[in-house]
Amino acid sequence: DAPPQSKCCKKQQYSNCKTNSLQILSQTWRLKDPAHLSKARLKSDLVAHNVALPPAASKKEVYVELHLRNIEQKNAAEFSSDDEEQTQEEAVSPSENPCFENGRNEDPEVTQVPDPSKLTDECLKAALLKHGVKAGPIVASTRALYEKKLRKLLLHSNGDGELNGAEKAELYSDSEEEQEEEEEPDEESVSEEEQQKPKETKKIQSENNKLPQEKVKNILKEALPETKTTTTRIYATPRRPIKGAAQRPIQYSLPHTLVSPVTLERREVERRLVSIHIQILFFVFVACIIFFIYVNVQDSTVLALLDSLSHCFDKEGGTLLLPETEDTQALYEQD
Amino acid sequence: MSSTSQKHKDFVAEPMGEKPVMALAGIGEVLGKRLEEKGFDKAYVVLGQFLVLKKEEELFRDWLKDTCGANAKQQERRRTSSP
Repeated sequence: DAPPQSKCCKKQQYSNCKTNSLQILSQTWRLKDPAHLSKARLKSDLVAHNVALPPAASKKEVYVELHLRNIEQKNAAEFSSDDEEQTQEEAVSPSENPCFENGRNEDPEVTQVPDPSKLTDECLKAALLKHGVKAGPIVASTRALYEKKLRKLLLHSNGDGELNGAEKAELYSDSEEEQEEEEEPDEESVSEEEQQKPKETKKIQSENNKLPQEKVKNILKEALPETKTTTTRIYATPRRPIKGAAQRPIQYSLPHTLVSPVTLERREVERRLVSIHIQILFFVFVACIIFFIYVNVQDSTVLALLDSLSHCFDKEGGTLLLPETEDTQALYEQD
Repeated sequence: MSSTSQKHKDFVAEPMGEKPVMALAGIGEVLGKRLEEKGFDKAYVVLGQFLVLKKEEELFRDWLKDTCGANAKQQERRRTSSP
């Protein structure tokens, strides 16, 4: 496996050389010499950059070589001499990324990197992300798959670009479905995929349904201008149904709720702050208190109070109370 | 899903542990040999590959096709074998 790997890595080197000057590369080579790093440090660097480690017993030179090959590409992007900064700056912003060569390309038609196999792992991941695919780790076993996927996406994106300019009707047809199916694998779990499939098909179906529904409505409106059209159903009856005829009983206007008036009242009452039961209890309780007071109390002070109250009522014009007060007075006078 | 085979039932009946890759439903001798040549000698390694692909069926299917030349039905069985 070693020879093809080295060839592949050299290709990557050359492609990056196109974008960055040779001077910068040589500078970084001189500035940061991996031979000065320890073997353990080299190992960890390689792992961090997703490079397959050589067998454990190999010499430091092998590590140095691999380190030089793989990590210098990232150095070329941002030429800092500090080792720690380089490892931290792995998350490169898109503007500084050597993957995207939009501004520097001589050929204006080529906006994307054409050959997925020449990309680095990170460039491949970024390219997939551009097409809306969130790729998992790009390891030795997964790389081939993601390259194939990127190729497919590039083909589709080029093909759809030609279609879009042609006819709008095709947007609702298979080409759009294919595009949406392609975007499905960017979901991370299988269950989410399955959930998205019906959602996307529903989207497409709703779009498809809009057109025929509108057409049908228009036709009906032209044919029968007097009929009412609803959103749910389209009536097309030319004559009104005869009321009281076969199986069409006359329905007087009933309230919408099939509830007796008693329950309606109860509901009204229940809406008050205090429930009806408590109100009834309170009323009974107060009535009992008044009754007991009236029956039991024999003190003159209370009678005087009652008399004064009755006098007040008399002044206001309550004639009925007069004989009562006279009766009570007569009773007590008897005692 | 179509009915599962006896091999599938045997595989899912217990944790896969150190079962060889040929214990997977749909992987016979020929396909098993191809997988072992690539380094996938145990069932859990194939499971690992499925997980590394973020449990995406389509990608896993493509990978199986490339690796051992399995057809769609065999791949489906393998996918359902792994929980």
